[in-house]
Amino acid sequence: MMIDFEVFIRILIYGATISGIWALIASGFTLIFGVSRILNFAHGAFFILGAYFGIMFIHSLGLDPYTSTMIGMAMVGLLAIAAYKGIMSPVREHEVMVIIVTLALALFLEQLVLIIFGEHGISFPSMIGGVSFIFGVPISNVRLLTLLIAITALFLLGFFIDKTRLGREITAASQDAEAATLTGMNIEKLFTITIFISAILAALGGSLFAQIYAVNPFLTLKALIFAFAIVILGGLGSVRGSIVAAFIVGYILTIVIILFGARWAELVAILIIIAILVLKPTGLFGVKE
Amino acid sequence: MSEEKTSGVGRRGVLKFAVTAIVAGVVAGVGGYFAGSAAVPPPKTVTETVTKTLAAETVTVTAPPKTVTTTVTVTATPTPPPITPPPGKTEVVIGVIAPIAVRQGKVQENAARLAIEEINAKGGILGLPVRLAVGDTKIKPDEAVAELRRLVTVEKADMLTGGFSSGVMLAMMEPMAELKVPFYADASSPIHPKKVNEEYDKYKYWFRITQNNGATFAWDMADLLDMLKAKGFDVSKIYIIRDEHIWVDAVEAFFNPELEKRGITVVKNVKIPRGYTEYEPLLLEAHDMGVEVVLPILAIAGTGDILVKHWAGLKLPILLAGHDLAALDLGFYEKTEGAAEGYVFIADGGVVITIPPTDMCAKFIENYTKKYGYPPEAHQGFGAYDAVYLYKMVVEEAAKAGVANPFDPDVVVEWTEKLCTYPKFVTLTRNLSFYPKGHELKFDHDLVWGDEYVRNWISQWQDGKQYVIHGKIKNAEFKLPPWFK
Repeated sequence: MMIDFEVFIRILIYGATISGIWALIASGFTLIFGVSRILNFAHGAFFILGAYFGIMFIHSLGLDPYTSTMIGMAMVGLLAIAAYKGIMSPVREHEVMVIIVTLALALFLEQLVLIIFGEHGISFPSMIGGVSFIFGVPISNVRLLTLLIAITALFLLGFFIDKTRLGREITAASQDAEAATLTGMNIEKLFTITIFISAILAALGGSLFAQIYAVNPFLTLKALIFAFAIVILGGLGSVRGSIVAAFIVGYILTIVIILFGARWAELVAILIIIAILVLKPTGLFGVKE
Repeated sequence: MSEEKTSGVGRRGVLKFAVTAIVAGVVAGVGGYFAGSAAVPPPKTVTETVTKTLAAETVTVTAPPKTVTTTVTVTATPTPPPITPPPGKTEVVIGVIAPIAVRQGKVQENAARLAIEEINAKGGILGLPVRLAVGDTKIKPDEAVAELRRLVTVEKADMLTGGFSSGVMLAMMEPMAELKVPFYADASSPIHPKKVNEEYDKYKYWFRITQNNGATFAWDMADLLDMLKAKGFDVSKIYIIRDEHIWVDAVEAFFNPELEKRGITVVKNVKIPRGYTEYEPLLLEAHDMGVEVVLPILAIAGTGDILVKHWAGLKLPILLAGHDLAALDLGFYEKTEGAAEGYVFIADGGVVITIPPTDMCAKFIENYTKKYGYPPEAHQGFGAYDAVYLYKMVVEEAAKAGVANPFDPDVVVEWTEKLCTYPKFVTLTRNLSFYPKGHELKFDHDLVWGDEYVRNWISQWQDGKQYVIHGKIKNAEFKLPPWFK
């Protein structure tokens, strides 16, 4: 099948945008699992709350979309800390219990949003308007900005993990929490910081998603399922793996939509994920425990 | 040493700080959101009352089913004083069965409650007090069937109104038939009247009161394309974005011949799943294919807001016009940040709130707004309100004629047919008329489609409001989207 240049550009940019958003949410999901072994099923709720908090602050306080996004992220981060200290930490040793309490939290938050905002989608006011032409292909500016923000955030995450002392401590804790404790690291503090970072990444993803698309309460589970699938594909606990996997999934979705039709997109993506996992059960960047 | 001491800031301290900050933020945010310029402000009260005189003695239906000229013999004049109810009957129970957690269901409960309060304030039905009983389908067939049985066998509902979701309705038709309970219903699938057509004695208790048969969207969309042509916006190629759902197949079965008649080509027909979001590539493809109109046929997808957002964002010289349930939402314009400006859509249910088709409709909107603080939040409310009043009329007419038990389900069916089988109609919030038994298109007991009856008005979002831009009750002219030159 011959793809003309315009279609190629569309695939390139649309794929990168959605991949960037999924990479934000997936990297946060895998980060907290990698460090604390917490499978946070409330992660999808943090994703939508980032958008809802932002929308709320824009309309109630008249803030601009940038400021409200940042405040929204901070709010979600604090909520995640509260959730960690209040319900996750006490049962952290029991992985099934963690899943149950975080899933319960997700459903609670979803219902709360449903009651307050209703079941229909709400748009996040665009940070930027207009359309740019890239090699003659019209692409909305908000999509380009989203791509830029997502890539910047992922770069900063990589920088934080690789280049800062705190980041290296988090990496150490993810490799061996007990050994890290023995060397004097404050594990509880590291977990708290990690859940905060994980949540603000999801919240940023939610705000960006709601700018291009819209947000509704039922995205809670969809976001969780996507994040979970991507993280498993990338290798549970591997941030780098989840980013690569997010781009694989994002591009599969985009290519299928553009070349074969929207109805097949998610089905094909899931089939490819299954196929990869059959060949490499630990995921692309996973290691045997 | 405890972890709390190690960390310097104890779990309790962090928790306290985080919770306090979140609560403060949420309270301020939610408070401001609803007090101030909310993203979805409560829909504005409609203060304009439109007085309309209905067709004189002659009614002409100008689109399929065949043009008919006939005489109207029934009007909704106030009913005479009630006759004595049957012995032993102490109350009338109206059952509303709908998904109460969603607006399409809640509005039915609210509207029925309002009608019942109004009727009770004027002496009830045949002097009997009317009571509301509510069943929640939760949009699940099994729950709906169980709730229907409860309403009829435990609450002793004399009639039912409600519904939403064709699949759920299909499931409910079985216990309805078994329990022989009159059901003035919602949903839009052609399969429901087909059952009445094929097994009349079993399913005759079912009448669709909320909206037209979904297949009629085809006639409205064909009219829409004709209207565009009349306005100088000639359409030769369209790109369809539709739900991947059986209901659209029924619409297309009627729509395709209409397109053929007009020489309009469908360059692509894209089926999308529920929750689909990526519309920009489709719009760009449509543009590449040189279409004038992207025509959505959407209800299940639930992401019409994203479609208009992408459409308005790209500002392509393509009109967006078709059927999209999301566009009916009164808060749609605000939720899309105004991207809906210029969106042409088909308004199901026969009422657009800026131009109520009857006096009773205007009064209903006014009273509903007074009672609940916002206008009817979905078109199903008009059907539920009408259902209660129609039942009252039917029972009282039967009683007046000397029928011993006017509440008997078979009597209710017989008298509903007597009062408003096409071309007869009753005027409530809309002019209600039902297609007869043995209808050629198998629309038995479906609402009659047409300007004089109930139709899905061709409407457009303009300056934050929904206006009808074609047909008998038109209250605005069609406008091109702002970026069209």
